[in-house]
Parts: sequence; C-alpha cells; structure tokens
Amino acid sequence: MGDVFSNLSLGFGVVFQLVQWTPAFLGGVSIPIPVNILLCLIGALVGTLVGVLPGIGTIATVAMLLPITFGLPPVGALIMLAGIYYGAQYGGSTTSILVNIPGEAGSVVTALDGFQMAKKGRAGPALAIAAIGSFFAGCVATVLIAVLGAPLTKLALAFGPAEYFSLMVLGLIFAVVLAKGSVLKAIAMIVFGLLLSMVGSDIETGASRMAFNIPELADGLGFATVAMGLFGFAEIIRNLDAGGETDRQLVQQKVTGLMPTKKDLLDSTPAILRGTVLGSILGILPGGGAVIASFAAYTLEKKVSKHPEKFGHGVIEGVAAPESANNAAAQTSFIPLLTLGIPPNAVMALMVGAMTIHGIVPGPQVMQKQPELVWGMIASMWVGNLMLLIINLPLVGIWVRLLRVPYRLMFPSIVVFCAIGIYSVNNAPTDVVLAGVFGLVGYWLIKHDFEPAPLLLGMVLGPLMEENLRRALLISRGDWSVFLTRPLSAVLMAIAAGLLVLAVLPSLRKKRDQVFVESEN
Amino acid sequence: MSDTPSHAPVKSIMPKWVRGPQDFVGGVALIAIALFALWASSDLQGMRGFSFGAGTAPRMFAFLLLGLGVAVMVVGLLTEGAHLAKYHWRGPLFVSLAILSFALMIRPMGLIVTAFSSFLIAALGTPETKWTETIIVAVCLTVFCSLLFPYALGLPLQMLPKFMIR
Repeated sequence: MGDVFSNLSLGFGVVFQLVQWTPAFLGGVSIPIPVNILLCLIGALVGTLVGVLPGIGTIATVAMLLPITFGLPPVGALIMLAGIYYGAQYGGSTTSILVNIPGEAGSVVTALDGFQMAKKGRAGPALAIAAIGSFFAGCVATVLIAVLGAPLTKLALAFGPAEYFSLMVLGLIFAVVLAKGSVLKAIAMIVFGLLLSMVGSDIETGASRMAFNIPELADGLGFATVAMGLFGFAEIIRNLDAGGETDRQLVQQKVTGLMPTKKDLLDSTPAILRGTVLGSILGILPGGGAVIASFAAYTLEKKVSKHPEKFGHGVIEGVAAPESANNAAAQTSFIPLLTLGIPPNAVMALMVGAMTIHGIVPGPQVMQKQPELVWGMIASMWVGNLMLLIINLPLVGIWVRLLRVPYRLMFPSIVVFCAIGIYSVNNAPTDVVLAGVFGLVGYWLIKHDFEPAPLLLGMVLGPLMEENLRRALLISRGDWSVFLTRPLSAVLMAIAAGLLVLAVLPSLRKKRDQVFVESEN
Repeated sequence: MSDTPSHAPVKSIMPKWVRGPQDFVGGVALIAIALFALWASSDLQGMRGFSFGAGTAPRMFAFLLLGLGVAVMVVGLLTEGAHLAKYHWRGPLFVSLAILSFALMIRPMGLIVTAFSSFLIAALGTPETKWTETIIVAVCLTVFCSLLFPYALGLPLQMLPKFMIR
C-alpha cells in the first residue's frame, strides 16, 4: 500500500512541477509556472473544443491533435494527450445531450435520455450529472490504476515472448468479441491492419518489405498518417454524404439552472456507482473500452431499475450510468497499455503511436525506468478530470454556440488543419497523399460496414506480434507447440479460443447484439 | 461509424445469386488486397530452418486475409444482406483534390497560399457552400494556422512561396 502512495505522490509531484519562467520584458524577474497543469488544461480545453464538433469522435480528435504535442517534452506531451482524450470524451457527451448527435460511439446511449432531458429544459442537470459522474469514475479509476500498476508490471516482466504473443492474440479476440457488428469482418480488419504494419523494413534483416522503393514507405506506414486518414478524412467525407445540416435539431432553449436537484442526486448516486464498477472492469479487459462500457451500463441500469419503462424518456440514471462507465473505462484502459505495453483499443493504439514518436516503447520497462513519466500521466488523469468538472460547466454556453457553426464551414477547416498536421510530422508531402488515400479507404470501409478501429489496433500490434512470434519460435527451435506447452501461454490461448467459440455461437451472439440493440429502442 | 447503408432496395448491379452484395464486394476486395500483398512480398526471403525470414510474417498475414476474404465473400453469397451503399462523388472528389493540392503546393508555395487554396477546393465538396462567408472563413483560418503552427507550436513550416523568398 505504501508503494501506491509514494508512486502517486511522485506523479503529483510531476504534475504540479513549477518551471521558472524569466521573460525578458520583466527584467530578470522569474515567475513560477505550473507547466504540466497548464498543458493538461489546454489539452482538456482543446479536446473538448474539437470533440464537441458533431461527427468527430474521440479517435478522430486524438488523431487530429496528435501533431500539436510533438514539440513538447515527452512527459508534457503525454499529459496533454491524456487531457485531449478526456476532453474529447466529455465533448462527445455534450453534443449527444444537446444536439442528439453523439460525437462518438461511446456516447450514443447518453443521447437516449440526455437529449430527452434537454428537450424538457433539463439540459443543465443532465450535463452536470454527466460531469459529476465522470469525475467520480475518474477518481476511482485513478486509484485503481495506481493499485494495479505495480503488480501487473511485475507479472509482465515474467512474460516470455510466447506469453506476450498469446496475450496479444487474446487482446485482439477480445476486441472482436466486444465490438459491434460482424465477428468475421472485425477479424478481417485486424488482419488487414497486421498486413499494413508489415510495410517498411524488416526489424531483423533490414530487408525492405512491400515498400516499392518509395522512400517515405521505407520506415513503414506512419501511424498518425493512417489514423488521420481513416478517422479524420473518412469521417469528413462520410458526413458530407449525410448532407450535414438536415438532421441537426439543436435544443434552442437557453441552458439554465445547471444544478441538479436533490432528487436527481439521490437517483443518480447508485447509477454512478454501478456504472463506475462496470466501466472499470470492462476498461481493463483488452479490447474493452468506453463504447461497450457505456452500452452495458445503460442496459444494466434499465434491468435493475424500478421503472424501466421510463428509460428513453429522460431519466437521469440513463445519463449518469453510461457517462460514469465510459469515463471509468477510458481511464482503466490505460492499465494494459502502461503495464503490459499492449494497447487495448484504438485510442490507446494512438497513445502508443505518440509514445513511439517520443522514443518511448510502452511496457513494463517504462514503468521501472521512467516512473516519473508513467506516474505523472496517471496523476494528470485525476487533475484532468477535475479540470473538466471545473471548466466545462461554466463553458457550456460556448460549446453550444460552437455547435451552431454550419458544417459547410467546418469541414474545409478540418481538412486543412489535418493536412498541416500530417505534413508537420515529417515535413513530407507524401504523407499527406497517403492520408488522403487512407481517407478514401476508410470511406469505402464504412460503406461496406467494416469497422476501421480494429484495423488500427492490428496495425499497432503487428510489429510487436511478429517480433514475439519470431523470438518464441527461435527459442523453441521452431516448435509451434510452445504456445500450448508453456502454462501461462496455454491459459491465455485457451481463453482466446473459448471466447471466439462463444462469440460465434448463435445464442450468445444474440445476447451480445441485444446489449447494443436494446439500448437503441 | 456504424450507419448501416440504407435498406431500401436500390437497383442492384449485382446478379441475383449474390444475396448480400455489400459483403460479397467487401470480401472480393479483401481477396484482391491479400493477393496483391502476396505478390508484393514474393521477392522476400522465406523460412530459413526454424527462423523467420523477412517474408514469412507478411505472407502469413496475407494468407490469413485471403482466407477471411473468401469467408466474407461466401457469407455475402449465401446470406441475405445489405445492398451496396450509394456512393456520392462530390464530397470524396473535392476533399481528395484539396488534400492532393495541399501535398503538391506546400513545398513550392508555402503555408499561406496552400492553406487558403486547399480550403476553397475542399469547400467545393458540398453544394451548400456560400462563397462570401467561405472566403472570409478561409482567410481567418489561414491567419490562425500561420500563427498557430510556426509560432505557438514551433513547427518549422515555410510560410511564403519559394519565389518570394529568393
């Protein structure tokens, strides 16, 4: 237990670090500036700003804002990115409550009751409960990360290549099972991602693979490039299809009376607690994350409620539970990333991309060698949540005004902004073209009902999987049974196989689809 | 991300025996990608004894994708599924053109000209564009970007066209 406190205090020390700023115009007087807190604040603000824009989800927001953190030192960059992530999530809930356009899949369920509440003139309490629930969930999740971090890291250090490979297989299978839509197509997308990750040079032999002598491909497809194409550009193109303006029904009344009533608080407390627990668990699971957590929390809340028929007509529990769950999950999904180095979902995959750009390879070693980075980030999560609570409620008016900006003006701005962002990564025009190509690929994927998120996950895990597979087979002298004879690996593989079988079984598939469908009507 | 394309029975160009055109075409495309990858990695070294060559993993993933593509295609053949979604040409075309022109112009023309012109090209992507407001916003965005990226974020971007610097 003592460990947890010393680690957390190290983290808070990093977050509250003051840097002396001596501007020339003050004539040598230096002002202490809490740089990391400022970065966290800016991240949360900018994240909310972009996340609020309808049709731009969390992944797109993080991908789009990734370049603005490149110039910072690693700790600052990661703290800012974490801030962006929470901001984006919170922005998503704001749009679903106020406009009934969930900015991201995770807040689809929030829109069900949140928008109904807003229509009744209770947008204020809905937003407030969403923020309070998120904050509470964030606090619990931060503690959970701190508690689980050290033991999991120890476990991870005992892992050999065979175990790592099996763990990644398990993670990918989880991602498929917990995702929405066809299992087969999701697996196909993962493998497509794995294949894309093979482009570039081979780690061991240095041979150029599928790069066609294009110098920009020699180091592989840039991760930020693909993400920006698949999520940024593809979303823009798809939104243009929908004809932007038609389905926007903004709540026109002024948002007044932010404070929830006593009854609201009483009603939502158990919902927040249940949502937090459910979300924390689902977030840790590889492949889990905010989306499934919010759906599951809503379904659970409806099941245990004394008045399930009122759900969908604006009950506050219907906002409190999924919002707490999705924030808890968003945060606990950092656990597998920080301790095992395995991103459990697409947003975490982006975090890996960001870390690699700063020369950090996430995994148990980072936890030991650069504790100030990891714990600083964990502490900043809590600070980030607090900031969201403080900045968002007073700023709701601004976000609402932002929603009124017509799409016809917004999308060219996003296109240009993304293009500059991609170009600035390597100063390479080819990257911009590649992102455009992946934009079209993403548009095609959406049209054929393929989810692009598993693709991104496959792409990040590809090199790791290859490396561990190679090493495992080299150690076992080419014996493939090593994955089944080493006990830990065998257990992981067995769970993966079992999950896959369950997912294809018709009875369970029905249940899985129910979680998603039930909350839609 | 999951808006299933409309279920309205659009006139299908697919023959009748294809019951789920959306999955069928999706599967065929995956097969094509897998075959392309197999061809592209055919010059790489395979297994040497029990250690992997450079080409082993790419070929392994390509074969996996091939199998999955066939499976998706077969599902599309045998089960009733969604029709092909309607494609729109205007949005994709002009957004792609804007991106392409950005890539071509950024080196010789610098950020200011490029950002402005790409904005206008992208704006062609919807019939709803009203030109006066678009131009005003384009100017504002250009100014914003030319302050944000080089100054606030410290990224080394060239602002003016090359011929003006010389």
